[in-house]
Amino acid sequence: MQEKEKVTGTPVSRIDGILKVTGKADYSTDHPVKNVAYAVLFKSTIAAGRIKDIDTAAAEKSPGVLSVITYKNAPKLNLKGGIRGGSMLQSPDVEFFGQHIGLVVAETFEQARHAADLIVVDYEKKEAKTDFEKLHQQGAKPKDKEDEKRGDVKAALDSAEFKVEETYATPIYHHHPLEPHATIAEWQGENVILYNSSQIINGAQNAAASTLNLKPENVRIISPYIGGGFGSKGGQWGNLVLAAVAAKMVNRPVKLALTRQQMVNSVGLRQRNYQKVALSATKDGKLASLSHEITTHSAIKEEFVEPCGDCSKVMYDVPNLLISYRVVAMNMILPTYTRGPGKSTGSFALESAMDELAFKLNMDPIQLRIKNEPERDPSNGKPWSSRTTVQCLQEGAKAFGWEKRKAQPRQNQLGNELIGYGVACGTYPAHQRPSSAIVKLKRDGEDVTATIELAAADLGTGTYTILAQTAADSLDLPIDKIIVKIGDSDLPPAAGAVGSVGATSYANVVNDACIKITDELIARSGKQFFTRPTAAQLMVSEKVDNIQTRADSKPPENAEDYSSHSFNANFAEVRVNISTGMVKVSRFLAVTGAGKILNPKTARSQIIGGNVWGIGMALTEESVVDPRWGNFVTRSLGDYHVPANLDIGTMEAIFIREEDKFGNKLGVKGIGEVGIVGVAAAVANAVFNATGKRVRELPITPDKLL
Amino acid sequence: MRPFKYTNAKDVTAAAKMLAANPDAKFLAGGTNLLDLMKEDVEQPNELIDITRLALADIKLISSGTNKGGTSIGGLGKNTAAANHPLIRQNYPLLTQAILAGASGQIRNMATNGGNLLQRTRCSYFFDVAMPCNKREPGSGCGAMEGINRMHAIFGWSEKCVAVYPSDMAVALAALDAVVKVRNASGQERTILLADFHRLPGDTPEKDTNLSHGEIITAIELPKNNFADKSYYLKVRDRASYAFALVSVAAALEMNGNKIAQARIAMGGVAHKPWRAFQAEKMLVGKEATEANFRLAAEAEMADAKPLEHNKFKVELGNRSIVLALQMAINGGKS
Repeated sequence: MQEKEKVTGTPVSRIDGILKVTGKADYSTDHPVKNVAYAVLFKSTIAAGRIKDIDTAAAEKSPGVLSVITYKNAPKLNLKGGIRGGSMLQSPDVEFFGQHIGLVVAETFEQARHAADLIVVDYEKKEAKTDFEKLHQQGAKPKDKEDEKRGDVKAALDSAEFKVEETYATPIYHHHPLEPHATIAEWQGENVILYNSSQIINGAQNAAASTLNLKPENVRIISPYIGGGFGSKGGQWGNLVLAAVAAKMVNRPVKLALTRQQMVNSVGLRQRNYQKVALSATKDGKLASLSHEITTHSAIKEEFVEPCGDCSKVMYDVPNLLISYRVVAMNMILPTYTRGPGKSTGSFALESAMDELAFKLNMDPIQLRIKNEPERDPSNGKPWSSRTTVQCLQEGAKAFGWEKRKAQPRQNQLGNELIGYGVACGTYPAHQRPSSAIVKLKRDGEDVTATIELAAADLGTGTYTILAQTAADSLDLPIDKIIVKIGDSDLPPAAGAVGSVGATSYANVVNDACIKITDELIARSGKQFFTRPTAAQLMVSEKVDNIQTRADSKPPENAEDYSSHSFNANFAEVRVNISTGMVKVSRFLAVTGAGKILNPKTARSQIIGGNVWGIGMALTEESVVDPRWGNFVTRSLGDYHVPANLDIGTMEAIFIREEDKFGNKLGVKGIGEVGIVGVAAAVANAVFNATGKRVRELPITPDKLL
Repeated sequence: MRPFKYTNAKDVTAAAKMLAANPDAKFLAGGTNLLDLMKEDVEQPNELIDITRLALADIKLISSGTNKGGTSIGGLGKNTAAANHPLIRQNYPLLTQAILAGASGQIRNMATNGGNLLQRTRCSYFFDVAMPCNKREPGSGCGAMEGINRMHAIFGWSEKCVAVYPSDMAVALAALDAVVKVRNASGQERTILLADFHRLPGDTPEKDTNLSHGEIITAIELPKNNFADKSYYLKVRDRASYAFALVSVAAALEMNGNKIAQARIAMGGVAHKPWRAFQAEKMLVGKEATEANFRLAAEAEMADAKPLEHNKFKVELGNRSIVLALQMAINGGKS
């Protein structure tokens, strides 16, 4: 038998691409549902206190209104059911500005929105904690994070020849997926179907069920397509269950979609961080100590602290280490996972400090990093399943033309622009999570098709496509004979598309299911084969019309013996206008070592997407709070500046050939997060190289470079 | 969004009459700003008079009158069409640059020239009905004065309002001595110099312009000038496109030998209206076009700036931007 060429590892275009560009892919509220009503949320305009009275009379009388739901008439929900951030109309208490305090349901969206404007709320205000600049010194240890110590940082720092001690600040960032959070709730007797954009299908199912006091089997989540999530659709928020509540109360299906303005205080955020980093080193650049002290904020009742110290734990070989977290409870929406949680912000601090140290040592920043490359994971002593940081740096340097970089700032000028180069590394853990999948084979004459089913999520990043590729290779079928069904909690349970575990977990279980069904067909034939036949051949030779099997996959047993991460090196070239301080990232290169790349085309899109967000972090994005009210003044995409096309220069992504034999059977590592890690530091380091100005408070807007 | 009546105007005078008849009516042209504001309940008209079908889109040479030889731009022409018309590209490249520096391609395709002049501030306190704003709700206070005011005014603000006017196009029009032609319900026409069209906030920040309710912008007239080969629109912003100006400068020079015969400078992002830098202009006339002279002029203009807590950088940025825009202008758009 001739070996068929593998489709895995080739740049297959998205199999769902045509559906998307022709508008046929049904996102949450696109699903056709009959007799649907529309719900609009209304929100608190104070940050702390309680509602004394809420006058809904005018709203209730407004044309088309079916129901106005507030804490007064909302059904009792389980607040510990797994919905994040409270905001479920369970009491008159207000804990942050923009908390949901009610819901208007009407025949049309416009009628509901208008009626919401007619509601009058009388508050009893309390003093609110809204000013992080004043509160950040009052931080306490988080509940779930101990300080981590190795050796004696203070002694090393005190006696060091070369050191850097600086504080790096990042603002609040919002996820702002293009598709705001949206749900259709439709009850069928005791069961509720929730068409809801979800990164974790089973997580959304469990949280909704528990909060609504139902069993999981009474709740079905349908989420075939997601218009971006970036972590904000990982955990689920009040809007999901409020849609179900509204549908129950009006006894009709209900659509509930957030407006862009409502997104800033409905579905989490990445919190503001102060990160104090101290590095010390010998004169030849060997690190002696690293301390990374993080101060941040969380919500009043719930706590979420992003792990900004994670990169510092694993990036460099350093004998003395301290990582600590302090958190202030504030009257703000609960922070949550945001692309590269902790690592994207943490790496800005660590990798800026490394650049500062290299400058003090008069050492090339690439050499400084190579000098401190750890042979094993310094946080736990485990061997790496694979690590290619040095190759990323070296191949990247060559591809980027790093030798053209001037060691001193302000030495590279063209016309009215200063040019600078920067480098920074990143990492993100790589894990496989338990997942199940069913593969179904169907024969029609000699034509065999396969259907793959699992409750996976596709954030828009290519899950459908890589699973079709994986199944095509495992079953030896053409890719167009594979149907992929995901995004439905009625399908076998699967990991979420979060924490860079999606591709690894899904591809492995699909591969396992395809091998298993082939084994079953071989067993069923009762024959011995000289070479292993394919499933399709067996379907035909054994005249099997239909067969299906289910696989339940876990990571390999010895996976925990290794430390498994994706690694990268980021290279930025910036051009800074001398007069105006405007920065353009003219070239950006990310070199990534992430095991087997299932699809270089979708992988490249993932990486450059992460890079673009990292450039946004570095230069443009910032959510600003007015501490007098605790509200955001940046409530639209006109105020919250994600990079526009014109902000982005030439983007290149290179993947290092990396064979990982230990992390999981297929040798796949996640790439969803690592693409943003290290990017902001690379840009900030390039800005320093261009201008001699070290900006330690993001974003680097023109005013900071005047 | 409040419910509203949707009506259509048959001709220009009828449109003005319909508007005059209802103090709570507004014209609907491109809708790129008004509809956003209605959705957020900032604007609450009870009637929208659709004027998009009125024949006010022409761009043509002016054949008589005081602005003979100049160019007239229809009030309902689209921004994209104005920016790309050969008469504008050839004779008023400053205007082309300014229009194309604003908004996005999609918005410019919808937005009209008259509507551009009437767009409202992007002050976030104005946009959020939960916040105080004297412009939106007279007497409620100014949220920005003691608040987040990085984007706000450094010239001409009052205790009542520190908002800035957002248009790029109008900054170029101010520099080019443009004139706004308006017609009222009786069919009478009048002209307003663009530099006088927008107001400073004073005690009545709710009034953006000197247009009366019931008047319609029929055209914007550009007088003939000799600035075409020495003009430049510089826009400094937080991202390269689709962002409002931190500071912008429209600069135009006419030379007489090696001396400046005429100078026009207008600034955006610094005041409640396009800010004509008359002091700087005056200082440049008769001088050589050197960086030193540009700098003296810029410093003279910016000396009167009164920055707020978060926008102190705009003074230095204004200085630099005036100098750079003049340098770009004298070099025909090259640095």
